[in-house]
Amino acid sequence: MPAAPFTIVLLLLSLLLSAPLPSGSAHAVTPEEILVDPALEKRARDLSKNLRCLVCQNQSIDDSDADLARDLRLEVRRRLTDGETDAAILAAIRETYGDYVLLNPPVSPATLILWTAPLAIIAGGVLLLIATRRRRGDGEADGSAADKMDTVSYAQSDDDSGQTMPDPSATPDMARPPLPTKLALALLSLAVGCSLLIYLALGRADLPDRPLADRTAEIAAIANSAEQDNAERLAGFEDARAAVEAAPDEVGNWLKLAIASANAGRTETEIAALRQAMMLTDDDPAIVSMLAEALSRAADGQVTLPARELVAGALARNPLEPRAMFLSGLAAYQDGDFADAIETWQLLQSVSALDAPWMPLLADNIADAAAAGGINLPAPGPDAADIAAAAEMSADDRDAMIAGMVEGLAARLAENPNDSAGWQRLARAYEVMGRPEDAQDAHVRAADLLVENPDAQLQALQAIVVGNAEERLRVAAERLLARLVMQLPNRPETLYLQGHFAASYGDAQAARQFWETLLARIPEDAPIAEQLRAAIDAL
Amino acid sequence: MNDKRPGSGFRLSFLLPLVAFLVLAGFASVALLATLRGERDISQLPSTMIGKPVPQVALPDLDNPQRNVGPAQFAGAPLLVNVFASWCAPCRAEAPALALLEEHIPILGIAYKDKPADTQTFLQQYGNPFIAIAVDRDGAGGRALGVYGVPETFLLDGDGTILLRHAGPIDRRVLDEVLMPQIRALK
Repeated sequence: MPAAPFTIVLLLLSLLLSAPLPSGSAHAVTPEEILVDPALEKRARDLSKNLRCLVCQNQSIDDSDADLARDLRLEVRRRLTDGETDAAILAAIRETYGDYVLLNPPVSPATLILWTAPLAIIAGGVLLLIATRRRRGDGEADGSAADKMDTVSYAQSDDDSGQTMPDPSATPDMARPPLPTKLALALLSLAVGCSLLIYLALGRADLPDRPLADRTAEIAAIANSAEQDNAERLAGFEDARAAVEAAPDEVGNWLKLAIASANAGRTETEIAALRQAMMLTDDDPAIVSMLAEALSRAADGQVTLPARELVAGALARNPLEPRAMFLSGLAAYQDGDFADAIETWQLLQSVSALDAPWMPLLADNIADAAAAGGINLPAPGPDAADIAAAAEMSADDRDAMIAGMVEGLAARLAENPNDSAGWQRLARAYEVMGRPEDAQDAHVRAADLLVENPDAQLQALQAIVVGNAEERLRVAAERLLARLVMQLPNRPETLYLQGHFAASYGDAQAARQFWETLLARIPEDAPIAEQLRAAIDAL
Repeated sequence: MNDKRPGSGFRLSFLLPLVAFLVLAGFASVALLATLRGERDISQLPSTMIGKPVPQVALPDLDNPQRNVGPAQFAGAPLLVNVFASWCAPCRAEAPALALLEEHIPILGIAYKDKPADTQTFLQQYGNPFIAIAVDRDGAGGRALGVYGVPETFLLDGDGTILLRHAGPIDRRVLDEVLMPQIRALK
């Protein structure tokens, strides 16, 4: 039987594998830490070897370069020079960091299994080995006797001699194949086969050796190409910076610099460039959103509080700014508000072109949020499959799908009419669907809920102007305008709207007054100035 | 009936290692599943500080370095102690959570191994939810608390006893399921 030597081989192998690997790491103590007194230093080293670095978790503080490990090494040495005993030092550190800091865990009910398990496993293995060997010995001794045994006497026998079958043909139901031996053989040949393969591939004597120089050349080539990429990126960065210095008033140059810095991994410069671009464009929502994204990227993908403020600002100016919508959803996701995240992202999906670059990411994120929040997707809106289906849908079907989503939102708002953000979303959706009157009404609802927010008033008024709804919504328009005048008096937007509504309601003189005030406040050559003059003349 | 006895020897020597393996695999998979579900975090080490009085830490006040601040000053009411640093990315991540917590409980900040100027910039960027900030320039205060990595957060009751310690950033789950229930229970 091959099983006996094989078992021993297996045992030896497992012992070998469980033996601790020789540790190659040198200790991390730096020269300035070492104590002058060699006896004290020796005690410090011995103590450090028994203390776990809590950051790396599998190194002693003597081995670890971590900051905390260094602090603890210094603490040990400070206490030693203060004359404390080893036991007192260990106790003090254990007091603050717990048993976990000791690499030799003390025996306690919680660690009992740790201490007894290896012994139990070894004892079990030895017992098993002895049992198998004895049984085999018995079986071989009984071999000839077993030939004569009939079934009855075999069944009564106390010997466990099943391994050696007397005669397979005599009693077919007893002739079970010796499974463990087969399995053992299979494992053995697998192990031998694997080592043979590894040897043939890597260790054969006739293989050419690979001198270190070869390999270093290979490594250097890789490093070189990486460096070249880097150099290209840096050159792009320098070009962009030169362009900015040449023409610092050009928004495009700042944006190019921002993109080049992002490519070169210079987030700080990217953020600074975007801030400049933002100032030059008077907080263009697209650039504000890019800044928010850069800030979030700098914070390892977390949408930080300043980024959130920027996103909110961008969305107030342009509720459909895709980057801001994406970040707004991401912020909700990171807050654990998965339903809100999904709603925002789905709205972005519904207003984006089907081949927009962010669509695949969006579908993934929505699926993620649904999984994380345990939300059933098909109910409120499209999932990835629906989007794919939507791509094949006729325009009518697609509109019907969006209309269904919007109906859902409208129904929710009927139940909870104080959700100002909901009204703004509904207004945007109606705009996209080409239902201007409903959009204007929703804007007015939002503005009436956000009485303190001039942007909300402004949005609603703009919707009214764009949709020529001055007459239909006259009462509301006057109410919103009054609020806007209180909040942002003498601002160009306000003056323009005051003039516009005065003209609409037949007060040409007031309209002229507002618009002329506005004209005086904007540059002569502004494109809008021309239009304003024309409008004043038409009064 | 006949095949029972001869088979049993094999079964034992075959099944025993199998059972042992399954038991081990069971332990491992319980731990693995808990980790994947986010219920178990290998960076959360057991703490010895819970139930003990908070160590007497007194460190220079960020706003007024002549003066020392520490948890003792706020004894008498529940207090949250947050160990943070401007160089620590997860500290940025938990800023919104701290802003929410600020409405429920006073928070004492300990700026761990951080330059005061950097701390100020960090607070300007990510908000300042703290009633006071102790400057722990060399990390001695953090070590007294058993801190092994920032951010870490301790919840103290009115007597200065540590009720809870959380290592790592406060996320939505920790906020809703761990911190807030305890803070509400204190009121």
